[in-house]
Parts: sequence; structure tokens; C-alpha cells
Amino acid sequence: MKSKKSMVTELNQEIREILIEEGAEDIYKCFQCGKCTSICPWFQIEVFDFPAYTFSLKTAMGDMAASEDKFELEAEIDMIYRCVGCEACTDQCPHGISTPNILRAARRLLVDFGSYPDTLKSVVQKIHSDANPLGEPREKRADWANGLEIPSFSADLEFLYFTCCLTAYDPRMQKLSKATSFLLKKAGISFGILGEKESCCGEAIRRIGSESIFQEVSKANISNFENYLVKKVIVSSPHCYSTFKNEYPEFGAEIEVSHITEILFDSIERGTIIPNKEFNKKVVYHDPCDLGRKNNIYDEPRNVLKSIPGLELLEVEDFNRNLSVCCGAGSGGLWMEWDKDERIVNVRLKQLLETGADVIAVACPYCLQMFEETLKSMNSNVLVMDVTEILLESL
Amino acid sequence: MKKIGVFVCHCGKNISSTVNIEKVVDEISKYPGVTYCEDYKYMCSSPGQQLVQKAILEHKLDGVVVSACSPTLHEQTFRNAAEISGMNPFMLEIANIREQCSWVHSDMKVATPKAISIIKTVVEKTKLNEALSPLKAEVIPKVLIIGAGIAGIQASLDIADAGHQVILLEKSPSIGGHMAQLSETFPTLDCSQCILTPKMVAVSQHKNIKLLTYSELEDLSGSIGNFKVKIKKKASYVDNEKCTGCGACTEKCPSKVISEFDEGLGKRKAIYTPFPQAVPNKPVLDKDHCIYFLKDGKCGICKITCTLDAIDFNQKDKIIEEEVGAIIVATGYELYPIKNMVEYGAGKYPDVVNGLQFERLLSASGPTNGNIRRPSDGKIPKRIVFLSCVGSRDPEHHQSYCSKICCMYMAKHALLYKENVKDGESIIFFIDVRTGGKDYEEFYTRAKQEGEILYVRGKPSRIIKEGDDLIVWSINTLTGKHLRINCDMVVLSMSMIPSKGIMALAKVLRIPTNDYGFLSEAHPKLRPVESIVPGFYLAGTVQGPKDIPEIVSQASAAAAKVLALFANDEISHSPVTAIVDEDICSGCGICIPVCPYDARELGGMQPKAKVNELLCEGCGICVAVCPSGASQQKNETDTQIGNMIEALL
Repeated sequence: MKSKKSMVTELNQEIREILIEEGAEDIYKCFQCGKCTSICPWFQIEVFDFPAYTFSLKTAMGDMAASEDKFELEAEIDMIYRCVGCEACTDQCPHGISTPNILRAARRLLVDFGSYPDTLKSVVQKIHSDANPLGEPREKRADWANGLEIPSFSADLEFLYFTCCLTAYDPRMQKLSKATSFLLKKAGISFGILGEKESCCGEAIRRIGSESIFQEVSKANISNFENYLVKKVIVSSPHCYSTFKNEYPEFGAEIEVSHITEILFDSIERGTIIPNKEFNKKVVYHDPCDLGRKNNIYDEPRNVLKSIPGLELLEVEDFNRNLSVCCGAGSGGLWMEWDKDERIVNVRLKQLLETGADVIAVACPYCLQMFEETLKSMNSNVLVMDVTEILLESL
Repeated sequence: MKKIGVFVCHCGKNISSTVNIEKVVDEISKYPGVTYCEDYKYMCSSPGQQLVQKAILEHKLDGVVVSACSPTLHEQTFRNAAEISGMNPFMLEIANIREQCSWVHSDMKVATPKAISIIKTVVEKTKLNEALSPLKAEVIPKVLIIGAGIAGIQASLDIADAGHQVILLEKSPSIGGHMAQLSETFPTLDCSQCILTPKMVAVSQHKNIKLLTYSELEDLSGSIGNFKVKIKKKASYVDNEKCTGCGACTEKCPSKVISEFDEGLGKRKAIYTPFPQAVPNKPVLDKDHCIYFLKDGKCGICKITCTLDAIDFNQKDKIIEEEVGAIIVATGYELYPIKNMVEYGAGKYPDVVNGLQFERLLSASGPTNGNIRRPSDGKIPKRIVFLSCVGSRDPEHHQSYCSKICCMYMAKHALLYKENVKDGESIIFFIDVRTGGKDYEEFYTRAKQEGEILYVRGKPSRIIKEGDDLIVWSINTLTGKHLRINCDMVVLSMSMIPSKGIMALAKVLRIPTNDYGFLSEAHPKLRPVESIVPGFYLAGTVQGPKDIPEIVSQASAAAAKVLALFANDEISHSPVTAIVDEDICSGCGICIPVCPYDARELGGMQPKAKVNELLCEGCGICVAVCPSGASQQKNETDTQIGNMIEALL
């Protein structure tokens, strides 16, 4: 039986202080204009209300993750774990408030109490024990590279190629790491891999709220970087990119990180990669949140696509670049299950398909997985390809 | 040896609670050169000042050190007192033992010896001080006013009415500024042009006002009381002596250009007066769009049409030089461009307009003769959405400040729209409604009711075009409801920013601005219409966003300040300036570019640095950079500073 909810809210300074401690320090900047709420991808889902603009004030009141009522708390957990951390709100907020960070503070509290979704608990568990969210054995992390003659990283090599967990283990995603290594070789770039020494970058679990395990996993990577004298890293996933670039420095990492599309565009400009085979398709490019909004990389992936002969590059009008809409996989969203009419991926796919494209180009394994799996269920002929895969076809 | 008197102030307990006054007096009395030392509870009081005056006479003092608060507070007070006793005021110095000693320490054991050291250094300085007299400069009782919007117009009339000469400079072809573009003005809804044009005419007819339109400031030198200005009067290719403003040339001109006055919503000709009530009511020829100039003489219809032979294609820009005693800057504002608002279409939707464009649509003299039509297809808009704080209150991406006038003009827009389109519907999105002004809140209440305006609290995130409609995405933060509002037009209240070129102008004038380019006032509360640089005054939105009543008040205030300056034939300037020992100066010129006041130049057959003492503010930069020590500051010589340091060690 549902208990009756009291209409009176106490000012709970203790919860407020804890949440500020956990990263919700932006709350006092908010003037409740509400711009965050209508730019949020959830706004485009008609049957669900995600009142992003209330979170700062609720936190300031000490009214977030504070309920002792079981039903109320469950409803709140459901709400707090809707956020895909796409930062569309942060990008538009007049005061630059990161609502994802406020929600992450609440998530940290919920994780401490063990009150968070079971699917995510399992992800955190797997990353903790196996260093990847798929629960695959660590010693198989470099299996994708079998027969490709990729050296183990050593200090005489310029770059470390750091695969995403998905591109390391998932059979479909392995095409990306294979394409990447092929292209890097073609461009004459000296690189190696760390194989089973590599651990998940930890981005997802940090967003889920599991700070202590994130720090454990990231410190393992950082000490590897130090031990192997890694200076420059190439990544396939914008999530790894963002974490290495913006968050690892908090723990003393001193590495220069490049997304594969930056390296590829540079190689095309230098003439070490020359796309000469026609790719006669209409391609729409989807900006991944972690590459675009969070790191301002909008042009490099587009420029790679534009350099491919025959390729017609389309844009989602009104919803591209910083106004792009998330695929729904961020901040744990990849593993969350929502009702069919409550999925952000459907909103974004609709926009992408309306352009009339034959191919949806992505530059992020998460986006690729979200779009491809959803398209499968829609029996669509439209392909989802990573920028590296498209470039490979044009060589 | 000079005889120095030292007077130690307790400042109530401000100084005496942390500085042992008795010990200070005891120590200082023994210091070489000090022939008299005394303390008093409040030295700045009348009896305190009398102590100083009496001692000067009785002990035949050559110099005085008052050990008290900061010299910015009472240096002048004590110098005046000393002067009454026959002492040169520059022989009196202040030793600051309050702000720099007692207020920043709590331990008497630390503060007392520090106070003693401070006083000793100032005694050393005073010993070598020379008697100085203030520099006098003539004041030219003529003012240059830059910008002829309502601020410049008001200031001009006030000063001209008081009997002084005014040069009113305006870069566009007519005076009037943005106020001439407005429809009706809040909160009384007077027709803007009806209240403005009489003032414009008064300017044009005033015998004390020299009006220079289509002109820009080129260069400026000099200082308060005596500025030299160089003004470029752009060629208008029309001889205003001959022209009667009949308008025949404009009518026949075949070249149509987007009208600046109509904010891009209408067209003008290449030879044009911006609006019918323009002052002066003589056309100018816009060379950049004139077929005669673009196609090597293949047109000239205006010249053929003009029966008075007033068109002169050979006219050249003219440089006008003037001397003035003061300058009022009133260059106004412009609106932040819509193209910066990517989420609202970045200017690609013609039916998303700014507040000034909507004013033109409302104005009887506007491109639609006051009938509201949307720009894309001329349709009467049945629903208009107004967005507040666009580009304002957004420190992250745009301007951090509130533009102050938007809340009021949005209410006015919606009310006038309702009068114009009876079945029209207005929706105003707001974050806060700010109506701080006399009768403003009442106007807002009236507009809401009479205009049947729907006020929705929330900041929309997107404007998206769907078919013929614009869709505004927002939430209502008071109900939590999602809104996707279809409408025919959107009016964005873009933030007010200083007009283009303000940074370049501020550089020519050498006066400070804030980060956004608004000119900085000397004091935010007590000197709001003066620049920190003497001789410059600010009027209107060049200083920050404000509405018409405030602009007019500020303009009159600036005029009053100028009139106070002109009330004296001469001004005095501090004699504490830099000097150059020409025997030592090598003429290296290092000191010339470092002077922030342009007070130095190299002159003579064998070039030596020279100081224009009236421009010199005594900042000392030239003294510091001079490699040979030829540059010295009066009463702050290297010897004095050396002695002061020695006294400290």
C-alpha cells in the first residue's frame, strides 16, 4: 500500500551539505529559469516529465535523495537514473550549472546506501571484478588484435591505442578497433596496445555514482600509464576521451589524449591517408555528447566524412552540433530498460531517419550500439557505421 | 635644518587601541629634525586643526607631518589649515598610521614600532619637500558632445541654454538616436517622436549649438579645460547650402538599400534622409550603394533631378578642428545580434525579430505604417511570443547583466499589439518581471489586464520552424507543464550592448570601460556621470542600460557638471608632476610611450624629454623607467625616496 506523502518539506541542511560535498556545488547559481528542462532529451518524450530545473532548488532544500519513505524513494531513484549526462542542459544554462553533476551527487549518496538500480549494480560489479562492464575475462581483452601484428606498447612507440571495453570484447564493436588499427598503420603512426593491462576508463561507473570503484579502476590505468611511460593516447570512445582528458588529471595523470577522428583528419590533411574509393551514400553524422558538447570536437569527424569521394553529408536540421540529442546511452543509460515509448534513442533515431540518410555515421561505440540495436527491432535498412568503418571502405 | 612638527592622532580608539601613542610621541620627539610633537584625540576636528595652526606659528615650523588616517581623507583638510597659518600647503604631509597600521594589526607590540617607522619616513620626505603652487589652466567654455541621441540632445540643450557653446557630434545622417525609432514610450505611452522631435528642432535652431552630423571623432589631445579635437565630416555629396530638402533626388534614386532606421525591415534609397523628421532634413548620399560610384558614373539621376544643383559628386571628407574645455560621451547602445542565439535560429527565421524591429512595426512611420505584419509573408500575426532576457543575465554565454528596459517594453509591446490586432494573443516568457520605476508596476498591471497578456514563467530553450509556424519550447516553471507553443512571430528582448566602436573611441579618449565596453564612472554612487579622467562626462546608455527618464536625468546631470567647470575661468591642477633635468636627459625616449596621459614628448634640436605639466597626473611611471635619473617627480625625488627607505631600515 502506498503511504501518504506529507506536503511539508523540512529544510534539511545535513543532506544539502552532503550533496554539496559530493559535487552539487552549483546549486546556488540556479535562478530556476527552466531552460534546462526543455533542452533535456526527456522533454521530447511526451509521456514523461523530467523536471531538471527543480533539482538545484530541491538539493538546496535538502530534498533530494532524502526520503525515508520507500515508495517515494523508489520514484526518486527512477528519476535520478533517467539522466543520461548528455550536458545539453549545462550547455544552455545561463549559469553553466551541470545538472548531471547535481544528480551524480545524489547518485553517490544512493550508491552508498545501496539504493540504485540492480542492472547498474551488476555493471559496477563487473567493472570492479573484470575491469569491463561486459563481465568478460581480462585475459581476453586483446583477443580482437589476434593476427593483426599490433605491438604491445613500449616507450619507443608514440601512441597508446586504448580500446573501449565494447570495442575490445563485443564482436560487432571489434570491427571498430580493427578498422582503427588498420587506419593507424596505413597512416604510418607508431602505436601499441596494453592488452590485458588495460582497465575500463570508469566513466560509466563514475556517472552511475560509484565513486570509490571508479577511483580504484582509474588509478590502475594511471599507474599503468606511468609505468609504461605513456605520453599520448588515442581512443575510440568519446567517453574514454572525456574521462582521460577532463577527469584523470584530478588523480595526477599527465597524458595527451586524441580521439581517433582527430588523428584521422590530421592524417588526411597530411596526405598519409587518401580516401579514393567512392562511397556513394547519403550519410548523416550524429554528434556524440562526449565528443561534441563536452569537448568541442564537431568538425574533425565531419571533415573526415567530407573528404570521402561520393559521400553526401547530411545534417539533422536544428539538432546538430551542440544542439544534438543524446542517443540515450550515457551515464548508465546503455543498461537501463525503459518502456518502449520512453526511450530517448527513438527520439534521436526519428530525427536521424527523417534526413533520408542511408547511413548514420557515429564516432562513439555507445551510440553505435544504441542505434544499431534499435534499428534492428525496426527492420530498417539504414546502416549505422563508425566514421572509421566508412573511411576504411573508401580506401 | 628644517623644523618639522609632528601631530599624532588617536582617531578616537581607531589608532590608540593598537598603537601606543605615548611611546610614539616620545620616540618621534627625539627624531632629528622634529622640533615639536603633540598628540590629540581627534586631530581632524576643529580644535585639532587649531593645534596644528598654533604650533606652526609658535614654533616657526617649516614642515608638518600629521600622523592619522589615509591622505585621501584629510590631506586637503590639513593643507588648508596649514595655509591659513601661512605655510605652503605642500609642506604638509600625512603619515597613514590607521589604514596601513592600526586597522591591520591587533598586537600593540607590532603596531607601535611600525607606526614610528611610518612617521619617520614621512618626516624624511617632508624635510626635502619644496613649496609648490597649483598649476593654473584656462578653461575653454565650450563642450564637445559625442552622440546625438536623447542623451546628447538633452545635455546640448541644457548647456546651450546656459549660454555656452556646444559642438554636437553625430555619426549618422540625423540626430535623434534610437528614441526616434520608438513607437510609444512606457509608462505613459506618449508617442516617442512627438516628444522627441521638438527637442531635435530646438537643437537645430539653437544659436549656441554647432551640429555636426555624419561626422566622427578622429583624434583628441589636451586635457581638461583645453582639449583639441579633430573631427571628420564625411562627404554627403550634397551641398547643404543649396539643398532645401525637397526630396526629389531620393524619390528618383533607383538604388534600394536595406534601411538601418527600419532595422532591416524596410528599404531606403542610396541618397536618403533616414526618416521624415530627420534633423538636419538634408539627404546624404551613401557612396557604398550608389550606382554612380559603383559603376563609374553610370547614373547620376539625382544630379539631373536636382534643380538647385546641390549634388556634388566631387565632395570630399572634411577635417574640422575645434578646441573645447570638456567632453560628454553619449554614444548610446545597440542590441546584441540575434545571430548569437543559435538555439533560437541564429537569425535564420525572419519572423523572429528583436525589440527595435518590433518598435518599427508598431510605429506609424514604420515600414508597415504601424500595422503589424510579420516580415516573412506580410501576414497579420495572431499570436506573438515575447522572450525576455535574451543575451542578458547569461554570464556563461552572453552578457551577465540585466538590460533593465526589456520587462517594461515587452509589456508595452504586447499592449500595443493588442490594440493593433484585436484578436491577437500575446505570451510573454519571463524569469523575473522587473518594474523598478515610478508608475512602472502600475503600467505592468494595466498591460497584463488590458492587453490580456499571458505571462509564463520560464526561459524557452528552442525556437523551431514547422511549416508556417514557429514553435517555442519551454516549460512553465510555476506549473511544471511542458509547453510547445505555436505562434506566428517571436520578439526577442535582446540585451543592450554599447554601440559599435565604443572600445576604439574609448581608446582615442583614453577613458576606461568595463568588460562589456560600457564606460566606467568615477564612482558608482557618488560620481555617476563623470569619468575618472578629468574633463570627460558620461550620459545615457554608454554608461550602462537605462530607460529614457534615467537617460535624460543623467544627461542633465552631466550638463550640470560641465557648467560647474565652466563657471570658473581657470582650473587648478596639482603641481606634483614629473620634471626633466635637461642636462642629464639623453633623449632616449623610453619615457614617451609609457606615459598613460600623453604628457611627454621629445623636443628641441638635441631632443630632450619635455613634460606637459597640465596633462601630467604625477603617476611616476616615467620616473621609474628613466635610465639616467633625469626624470624626477616634484616632492617625490629619488633623494627623498632614498632617505625614506633609509629611515625604515
